[in-house]
Amino acid sequence: MRTNRLSFKIIIRILTFTILLGASIFSIYYYYSRTEIEKSARENAVFLAENTIKKIEEVIRPAEMIPNNLSWMLESGSIPKDSILPFLAKLVRNNPIIYASAIAFEPGVFDSDVDAYAPYAYRKGDGIETIDLWSPDYNYFIMDWYQIPAMLKTSYWSEPYYDEGGADALLSTYSMPFYVDKQGERVFGGIITIDISLEWLTEIVRSVRIFETGYAFLISRAGVYVTHPEVNLIKNHTIFTRADELNEPELRTIGRDMIRGEQALTSIDLEHLGYVWIYHTQLPSTRWSLGVVYPHKEMFAGLHKLTLTIILLTIFGLALLLFLTIRIINHQISPLAKFASSARSIASGDFKTELPHVGNSLEMQDLYNSFDYMKKELAQYIAHLQETTSAKEKIESELRIAKEIQMGMIPHIFPPFPDLPEIDLYATLLSAKEVGGDLYDFFLLDDSRICFAIGDVSGKGIPASLFMAVTRTLLRSTADKDKSTAEIVTSINKTLSLNNESNMFVTFFLGILDIQNGVLKYCNAGHNPPILIRNKTDVRFFNITKAIPVGLFEMYEYTEESILIDPTDQIFLYTDGLSEAEDVDHNLFGDEYLLEVIRQNASASPRSMIEAATKAVADHVKGHTQSDDLTMMSINYYGKRNL
Amino acid sequence: MHKNTIHSLCLVFFLCLFAGIHSVHAQREKLVFSPHWLPQAQFAGFYVALDQGFYEEVGLDVELIHPSANISSINLLKEGKADVVSTFLMDAVKRRVNGLPLVSFAQLSQHSALMLVVKKSSGISSVADLNGKKLGIWSSGFDDIPFAFLHDQHIEMEIVRIHSSINLFLMEGIDAMTVMNYNEYNQIINSGINQEELVTFYLADYGYDIPEDGLYCLESTYASKKESLKKFAEATLKGWAYAGENKEYTLHLVVNEMEKAHLPNNKSHQRWMLDRMLELITPTNKNVSFGQLLPSDFLYALELVQRNANGGEKKLKMDAFFMK
Repeated sequence: MRTNRLSFKIIIRILTFTILLGASIFSIYYYYSRTEIEKSARENAVFLAENTIKKIEEVIRPAEMIPNNLSWMLESGSIPKDSILPFLAKLVRNNPIIYASAIAFEPGVFDSDVDAYAPYAYRKGDGIETIDLWSPDYNYFIMDWYQIPAMLKTSYWSEPYYDEGGADALLSTYSMPFYVDKQGERVFGGIITIDISLEWLTEIVRSVRIFETGYAFLISRAGVYVTHPEVNLIKNHTIFTRADELNEPELRTIGRDMIRGEQALTSIDLEHLGYVWIYHTQLPSTRWSLGVVYPHKEMFAGLHKLTLTIILLTIFGLALLLFLTIRIINHQISPLAKFASSARSIASGDFKTELPHVGNSLEMQDLYNSFDYMKKELAQYIAHLQETTSAKEKIESELRIAKEIQMGMIPHIFPPFPDLPEIDLYATLLSAKEVGGDLYDFFLLDDSRICFAIGDVSGKGIPASLFMAVTRTLLRSTADKDKSTAEIVTSINKTLSLNNESNMFVTFFLGILDIQNGVLKYCNAGHNPPILIRNKTDVRFFNITKAIPVGLFEMYEYTEESILIDPTDQIFLYTDGLSEAEDVDHNLFGDEYLLEVIRQNASASPRSMIEAATKAVADHVKGHTQSDDLTMMSINYYGKRNL
Repeated sequence: MHKNTIHSLCLVFFLCLFAGIHSVHAQREKLVFSPHWLPQAQFAGFYVALDQGFYEEVGLDVELIHPSANISSINLLKEGKADVVSTFLMDAVKRRVNGLPLVSFAQLSQHSALMLVVKKSSGISSVADLNGKKLGIWSSGFDDIPFAFLHDQHIEMEIVRIHSSINLFLMEGIDAMTVMNYNEYNQIINSGINQEELVTFYLADYGYDIPEDGLYCLESTYASKKESLKKFAEATLKGWAYAGENKEYTLHLVVNEMEKAHLPNNKSHQRWMLDRMLELITPTNKNVSFGQLLPSDFLYALELVQRNANGGEKKLKMDAFFMK
């Protein structure tokens, strides 16, 4: 997986972006589709209902015209009394939509001595039968079909009823009042009815199909189901008993709106149907109400199916995209792995390693060229480096030898004068580089005088060490028991200043201590003043004039100074490698701190004192590279002892 | 061999048993019963007693016939087409007073379900508001109590005789209508009018808590079939008790009866009716046992009938009318 991390990251980013983009587009699409479907379903519900109503009205309106015309004929007296029955029979025969028809007279209207007469023609088999509806057991005046239009003086479509033994079908009676002229007055004459079978109506409403389970239904003015896909509900149930049985109070509310003739689109969550829309509107003629039921779930079924298809296709597409992306990216970046392998091979020194074939991408070609360039440059560099290294190694080897020679020049056997109990002397020289420019030296001039020197050549390395070697050689050759320190230094200066093309110089302190009496004569050519430790307690710098370093001015005359050293006094000499030692932050070791260190070790032997100073420097620089040679020398004078 | 003997004995035993049952069947008394209206939960106890074999158990062979919308149960009784009928107490007392030799041998309902109902929208909210309004009353009769109520309350109403439907009321052809709480009242509710949109006047609340459904036969029938009628009444009451404990089963029976008669039917309305009928047959505050007629109720019914009666049996005694 580690090797695939780049491709993995690229793929994750591409996939995330693709999914987010796809999800956004799909959400917008889904939202708008849903809105559109809802809108079109609403329109469709209204259209379906209106269309169904139109179809029903197309049958009902002409049927209603029959009693209308009949009432006009009765009022105008154009039907002779004895022709009423045959007329009705003919009317029924000629109008297939009509199952039966009656003209029910008010008392005394048909004839002044006839209280009740209701000629009635109805279908029986293929023929038409006629009877008088009136009988003591059938008082038509109190029947809904007569009483309601008679009292309300308006036409009336009866509640649907099942005509048993006659039509054996669901019927509704359309009744309308008619008027007659009675002694010049227009009076209510009775009721004309037609009975029509509702089979055709059921067919029209049943033909409304909405998706899988959607349907249309018709309820009467009292809420009785006239048509419904559940045949058992027809005439048995009202929408209200149905609401009660289903325990759906909302259905009752819709039913109330329906019988009031309201037109509305409402939604309801029915337990047996789920969430549905119901659009309802009234039949203008019968004032019955048509409801169109839209199952919400099915309304969006197409969309949901499409959604599912899109999701499946998306998953497939994403899988394909993932596969192809992995393939492409791996193909594109596989040279990177080979490059990595080649780079390792090159790093291990095999410059003949073949670089991988990179295809034709510009970036990879670029990388190839860079790698190729790097390989060649590296090969060249390494070759050059090998040369340089061998040269350097040679120089280093020579420097090592030079160092050995240099170190061989300065005395390094301690104690140097085991036969002289009057003094104890210790010195160290730690070079900053292989060979340094510091020097120290000491030797006996005669039995009682010891000559010692410390110096620091300007610059470092081979030139400094050569200059140091010359200075030391000059010291040894110049110093003798008859010369003062100033003469020796002046002589050395003269010799060094001659032909000093490189303008090198050396700070130099030369002292001659008479161990018999403790007189210390010295000459300081620009060197750091040594420290004098008196009585193992009093620590201070030599109070001396700092003359110019040796090697600068040929004619310079150095002067000698002298001081009396008491027994137990100690001298500490050093180069600026000590006082100017720097830590990481370039803080100097400093003269004050040097004095403090020496003070703390005032009673130490020369060796211990130098070791303490060395440690103090190391602590101060804290591992910072030593930038200058560090040279220290300490002489403890004990005086003439009684041995 | 032994096994075969047992088998033979068993066979003989069952044959004898079957013959016995058959002979009992042959001896069962035939009774034709007609309730006073078309099939509905009002008569649930009879359907249950028949279906559960309670009549058979007491040795009766009961045939249940229904009157038609235009021929009453009393007419069936008069014509001899029915031995036993059910009808309202008021109706029965009235017919008896008017000369029909009817006797009662069980009183099923103990309370009045009669009420006047008006739409709130008509503006009627009190009895006084009824004055001058149109009242729909069934043409079949049963109008003594409403008339007594109107008379006692000093209310004049225009009476409109109606057949049986509530449609004229729904269409506001009449302002008020006499209805039965267990039937038409709920039909109105089931036609989309909410309870809170109606104002009701329960006549029982105005002192007319006169029992309704009871069992009747002609005096001659009672004289000849007294024991059988007693058994019939007991089995019927048992049927009602069973109906109260098994409502779903009972409703199923009722709806089947209605279906057979091609009547519009639904359990919602029949459930309401059954519940109300069970309330009506429970005596509650009346000191009377199940199936009996309270003498004070009889006397009150007689008084109301006699208010409007012309002639007839003036001094009808309780024990001549109700056979305990």
